[in-house]
Amino acid sequence: MKDLISNAETINKLLARYGVKFGIYKNGEFKEQLFPFDPIPRIIEHNEYIHLEKGLKQRVNALNCFLSDIYGNKRIVTDGVIPEEFIYSAKGFLTPCDGVAPPKNIYSHISGIDLVQSKDDNWYILEDNLRVPSGASYPMIARELQRRSAPDVFSYNSVVDNRNYADLLKEVMDYVNTGGINVILSPGRYNAAFFEHSYLAEKTGAVLTTGRDIICENDNVYYIDYNGKKQRVGAVYRRISDEYLDPMTFYEESVIGIPHIFEAYKKGNVALLNAPGNGVADDKGIYYFVPKMIRYYLGEDALLMNAPTYLPYYKNDMRYVLDNFDKLVIKDVAEAGGYGVVFGNSLTKEKKEKFITLLKSEPRRFIAQEVIDFYDLNILDETGNKVPRKADLRAFVLTNGDTKVWPSGLTRFSRNPDSFIVNSSQGGGFKDTWVLSR
Amino acid sequence: MGIITVDKCDHLFWLGRYTERVHTTLKYFFKSTDMMIDSDPGFYDEFCRKIGIANVYGTKENFMRAYPFDENDPNSIISNLNKAYDNAIVMRDYIGTETMAYIQLAIDDIHNAERGNAEIPDLMLSIDHILAFWGCVNDIIDNEQIRNIIKLGKGIERLDLYLSLGLPENDIKKEYKRMKQFLVKSKMRYDESIIYTIDSMLSENELNYLNIKNLLRNLIAK
Repeated sequence: MKDLISNAETINKLLARYGVKFGIYKNGEFKEQLFPFDPIPRIIEHNEYIHLEKGLKQRVNALNCFLSDIYGNKRIVTDGVIPEEFIYSAKGFLTPCDGVAPPKNIYSHISGIDLVQSKDDNWYILEDNLRVPSGASYPMIARELQRRSAPDVFSYNSVVDNRNYADLLKEVMDYVNTGGINVILSPGRYNAAFFEHSYLAEKTGAVLTTGRDIICENDNVYYIDYNGKKQRVGAVYRRISDEYLDPMTFYEESVIGIPHIFEAYKKGNVALLNAPGNGVADDKGIYYFVPKMIRYYLGEDALLMNAPTYLPYYKNDMRYVLDNFDKLVIKDVAEAGGYGVVFGNSLTKEKKEKFITLLKSEPRRFIAQEVIDFYDLNILDETGNKVPRKADLRAFVLTNGDTKVWPSGLTRFSRNPDSFIVNSSQGGGFKDTWVLSR
Repeated sequence: MGIITVDKCDHLFWLGRYTERVHTTLKYFFKSTDMMIDSDPGFYDEFCRKIGIANVYGTKENFMRAYPFDENDPNSIISNLNKAYDNAIVMRDYIGTETMAYIQLAIDDIHNAERGNAEIPDLMLSIDHILAFWGCVNDIIDNEQIRNIIKLGKGIERLDLYLSLGLPENDIKKEYKRMKQFLVKSKMRYDESIIYTIDSMLSENELNYLNIKNLLRNLIAK
């Protein structure tokens, strides 16, 4: 481990050299920032990983069943497991997707599941990301560099090699491909995650496109080359949001989408990864129901727990939330990226009253959760000393005919000692995640 | 992978042009700064005139500082290198992370030179990294057409600059011959009549630099 720590600066320099950056907009201006890397890995023991792997597969399988059901017969609603208003009022429920089955009936091909480990050693799911979860490329490239800088550390510790992510992703794209090339559709150079889009294109051999060179004709999707020759597209790993995907179906002013691609998808002529409409399943309100989904679709108890969650929508839960406001964290279901998160005890009396009024007027808009006292992980501070910081784990689960968990993940940490917010857009850094093979 | 679209072709071509612009103008900048030490302190004016940029610098000192480092000056070395980076970053899947890294390193060299005490020697490192970038283009990029589009951009830019700087006819002829090879191999659309015209001009006793330069501007089909 000493080798990893002593090479930390070199690794960060190499990450800068390879353009491992993310973009943010501040005051209307685009800026690229390095994503600070901490050399001390999160280590997941073999047996612990086996448990996590089972739980993650189970969860993603249930979420895929849910999506298939909700855009199909909606049995889970008619059977009274989830109130219908939670489905139809979810921002991510897209009416045009109703009745549309994606190729091979897979909705969430790449799922990013955020977890934390509490001090009682239990893992808790914080949220599911089933639309365009990002972050796998960072530990991929960091591992490549760390293996070069300290090879013995990896062989001595029996760390499972995580550099197969691109192969897993390619397998998924190939599996659902309807005949043609694989492309990665990016909003472009000024997107926060552009590094990842371009890096994954390089590593999977898929074509990176911003959509300018893609057209739809007769419900098929084509990529146009320099000489005007058309190449059929069979799978689009799209890294743009649902609403911008197709101006003919969704947000009509979108200039980054591909007109008519949704029609081609509806006819089964192209696979979209992940399927549009997945937002209904990773809605913070729906999160509450995931353990019930697992029981309903798989007939099993959830192996991984949700953080204890309350829906102010239910009277009893609202009462609990109001009585325990100061010890809860309240989340706006429409927000993401660490935004819209309020710790009850952080509000002044006046702000608290105002917030409670809002909560009472829009109960469906919020969820409340117990603050989990999760493990801090050591990071190196600017002076090279180890200091504890809050950290979560984004696990990546890939689904083709089978569901596979990538034996690694993105561990994000807060650099601020007083903060629970780990998002890169809010100054967080990242670590590699080691899964041990024995 | 390897399907080249109009946009990608454009990025590759301009990646070649901008890296070459940085390479040749940096070398000319070094030569010019030497001239300005004792023989001609106002030589920067001729520098600007020759490479076709406005002399907005006012003094030798301003020129020495702004031309390499000023990111707000669209003609500066760093601005041209940033444009090379903008074209490279969207082509990572074609040129590879390893190749792209040398553009980033060249940018880092310029920033380090700006902060350091020995600006000119530090700036020389940037040339090393541009040469390494071209080495990677040859060594890492499998697709011949991609390599040749970058080299075509580089060749046209070099020829344009050599003509502007009034380099000897032999140098012009040599670079023109090289550029023509890439032109064919790149499979880009171009105006053949321009090639015939330049070919015949090159057999004349005295080259008309300005005419060749103007013809080259319209060589590649828009």
